[in-house]
Amino acid sequence: MLRFLVRRFLGAVVILFLLSIVTFLLFFGMPRDPALLMCGKTCNPQSLANIHHVLGLDKSIPEQYGIFLHNLVFGSNQFAQGPCPAPCFGYSYHTNDQVWATMMDRLPTTLSLTLGAAVVFLIVGLGTGMVAAWRRGTLLDKTVTAGSMVISSLQIYFLGPLALAALVYQSHIFSKPAYNDFTANPITWFSGLIIPWVVLSTIFASQYTRMARSSMIEQLQEEHVRTARAKGMSRKYVFFRYAWRGSLIPIVTIFGIDLGSLLGGAIITEFTFGLPGLGMLAVQSVQFSDLPLLLGVMLFSAAMILLCNIVVDACYAFIDPRVRLS
Amino acid sequence: MSRGGRQTYAALSVLAAGALVLTGCSKGGSNANDNEKKDQQNAKRQQSSIKFGNAADSQGPAAAVPGAKAGGTLEVLQRDSYAHLDPGQIYVSDEGSLATLIHRGLTGYKATSSDGSKHEVVGDLATDSGTTTDGGKTWKYTLKDGIKFSDGTPITSADFRQTFERLFASFINQGPTYIQQWMADTSGSDYRKLLPDGPYKGKHLPDSVLETPDAKTIVFHFKTAHPDLPYALAMAGYDVVSKKGDTKEKYDKAPLTTGPYKIQSFKSGKSMVLVKNPNWDPKTDPIRNQYVNQMNFTFNSQYEDSTKALLADTGADQTGISFNNSVDAGNIAKVLGGDAAIKARTVAGYQPYVGQININQSHAALKDKTVRQAIAYALPITPIIRAFGGSAAAEVAGGFISPTVSGYDASFDPWGKKKNPGGDAAKAKALLKKAGKLGLKLTYGYQNTPEGQQYSTAIAAALTKAGFNVQRQDIPAETYYDQIGKVNNNYDIYASAWGADWPSASTVIPPLFDGRAVADGSPNYSHVNDPKVNADIDAANKIADPIKSAEAWEKIDEYLAKDVINAVPTIYYKQVQIAGSKVGGLVYDDVIGGIDPRRLYIK
Repeated sequence: MLRFLVRRFLGAVVILFLLSIVTFLLFFGMPRDPALLMCGKTCNPQSLANIHHVLGLDKSIPEQYGIFLHNLVFGSNQFAQGPCPAPCFGYSYHTNDQVWATMMDRLPTTLSLTLGAAVVFLIVGLGTGMVAAWRRGTLLDKTVTAGSMVISSLQIYFLGPLALAALVYQSHIFSKPAYNDFTANPITWFSGLIIPWVVLSTIFASQYTRMARSSMIEQLQEEHVRTARAKGMSRKYVFFRYAWRGSLIPIVTIFGIDLGSLLGGAIITEFTFGLPGLGMLAVQSVQFSDLPLLLGVMLFSAAMILLCNIVVDACYAFIDPRVRLS
Repeated sequence: MSRGGRQTYAALSVLAAGALVLTGCSKGGSNANDNEKKDQQNAKRQQSSIKFGNAADSQGPAAAVPGAKAGGTLEVLQRDSYAHLDPGQIYVSDEGSLATLIHRGLTGYKATSSDGSKHEVVGDLATDSGTTTDGGKTWKYTLKDGIKFSDGTPITSADFRQTFERLFASFINQGPTYIQQWMADTSGSDYRKLLPDGPYKGKHLPDSVLETPDAKTIVFHFKTAHPDLPYALAMAGYDVVSKKGDTKEKYDKAPLTTGPYKIQSFKSGKSMVLVKNPNWDPKTDPIRNQYVNQMNFTFNSQYEDSTKALLADTGADQTGISFNNSVDAGNIAKVLGGDAAIKARTVAGYQPYVGQININQSHAALKDKTVRQAIAYALPITPIIRAFGGSAAAEVAGGFISPTVSGYDASFDPWGKKKNPGGDAAKAKALLKKAGKLGLKLTYGYQNTPEGQQYSTAIAAALTKAGFNVQRQDIPAETYYDQIGKVNNNYDIYASAWGADWPSASTVIPPLFDGRAVADGSPNYSHVNDPKVNADIDAANKIADPIKSAEAWEKIDEYLAKDVINAVPTIYYKQVQIAGSKVGGLVYDDVIGGIDPRRLYIK
């Protein structure tokens, strides 16, 4: 198991390395000179050349990438804004804030949003999916299937403002969504995130409902399940002991990808509810062509997806004995 | 406060956000007209009444706001976080509004009426708005007694020397550059050669440029007259920086403040808390009040969100406000509708920006004046107004000078747009035929924003109807001003906008139309280089009398719009803002171009 994990981690590092090259090169393909952002209104070729020099943009692209990697691993004291400890993504062009510190400052918001929503959509999605599979062909099954189809066709940018209008601005049932530090006040942290959790998990739960239902139905038709039933085991025992575990494999796979993506920033949700997480940071970095920040957020998001996939791979072994044996 | 080039994009992004829904204010036609008249009256009063105050005008404390009381917490909902807190880096209006609370300079704008419609430039940290005995070449300022930074250290002339000298250092690159250029008697960024490293390597500006003979006296020496210095010094970009506390780049994150509030905490992109500055003495400040105990800023609140929250008026939002968010286009009709309670907590006014459609005079076919006349007649303004949210968000422009700037003439309408905002395709076609250019190809570069997409389609259709062969080409919003700012760009016509830095057209006409400044990145987007305009600019810049100066700028403006036709004025930008029901002292300030944060209190 340890060898497996080490192998996967090394693979992830290689992927991240390749991704960093691609991302870095992509930025140089952009039609905009980042130095222009810092050049101010009296920009002229001389001052532009000076900024190119300060930012290291007058060096060759491989050289610039080498410096970027060096800073990432070892940190740097070469920035005018101050020291930049590893992992150093540099300083934001727009705000002059350290990129890594900014991302770590925004991470708790994204983490809270993602984990809270994940708990809700897993419980609701798997629960309704299992019930629909258990009662396959009944009115309940049809209702759940149709309902999940309708809900999954909704989008956060539609459902979010609708929830805000109905639950906050019209009825005043809930307070405006906001991120409050959990350690400062868990109650305001919880109340501020209820609506984003509900909206985000509504969209995801419907997908998990359909996935759980179909996966479970498929499992119930497996030979080993039918054999267990033929041996006289109760339906309930077979359902939970054999079919349920088997049905989790595809769900865990998708969950790993979803979780990784969300941890990299639930862009639309954060933007809709004004939550200052990594998704909002990604939007702002694009808005201001803030390349160090954009690079940082992209690589962090990629790392989250890779990490979650490694965790998912590890989970297979615990969920499915066949994986463990192989 | 002006936003040119990339800044203008930021400004227009701010204006544009939320303007996705058309609002013709159909419900409130008469209300809209009433508001428009009131806006114009306020602007007229303001642009005609700004004078330079004397020592008596510059004495604190500021006039009490009627009914105001101290205490409470103001919740400020802002869309954008503050990128800069260092006065030297402040130029955009969001940070300018904040600066009115935390920073002070030698001069400032004092409201002389309780509705915020009249102002004068007075001494802020200085005892008066400045004295000159040679028509504006030499200006003398004396500091007031009892002025301190938020850490309790007294403010001296050495701090002002530091303030101005550091503006020459390369890391100061976002703020205004007028005074640096005047000191160096040069244009562009060549001023940096006067003191390339700022004061940080032991060199200083010579006494022939900046004199600080004692702890309280500051004397500016310019080679040419600059009668606008009191206006320029009122810009946040020239507010004082502590010599002792100057941490260069790091000052941008944690500056020492001098205004009635100091920064308790600032989490970039998330929140900011301002608390009362105990070292601010109201007796030294003729401009600001300090009623609210604390201001809690929350960023990332989109226009629609802040409008809905403030309209709902519940909980903390009752004491809520936004200094810079406008009412979103979808809610303008509701806000300006018949509900008196909502109208009572709403303010509206002009922004300093004027929109225009530039005609690229580097292209041969457009050197024909008749063709440019045809374009001017054909252009419809109605689609632009609609795209930005209707009559509450924009108004037909006659010239390039905004209603809030001296030299504005409400009756000036060279192309009949005020009477016929839809354009005159027939007249345009006749002119084009006369020029023998029917079917002339026009490449129209438009900004790829929801508004740009919307109005550019209608403009292209109108020009096509007038006989042009219009090719629309989208330009990504992020690089729009970079693209049209190139002298050798491929577009024939394109939109831009510009705002005055102070209520004088000297901050509008020269940057936009001085032909000697045509270069990549220059805001002279039409590349106009008219000898008469250039000469008139030089002459107007030398006029010390503000009234005569305004007349001179007005003449140049009219000559440009009517005879040169390098660009067609389109709209004056306006905005509507709203606050919670428990916020008092709500006034729209034409100089700030938005709500005046300095007089707010909690009811």
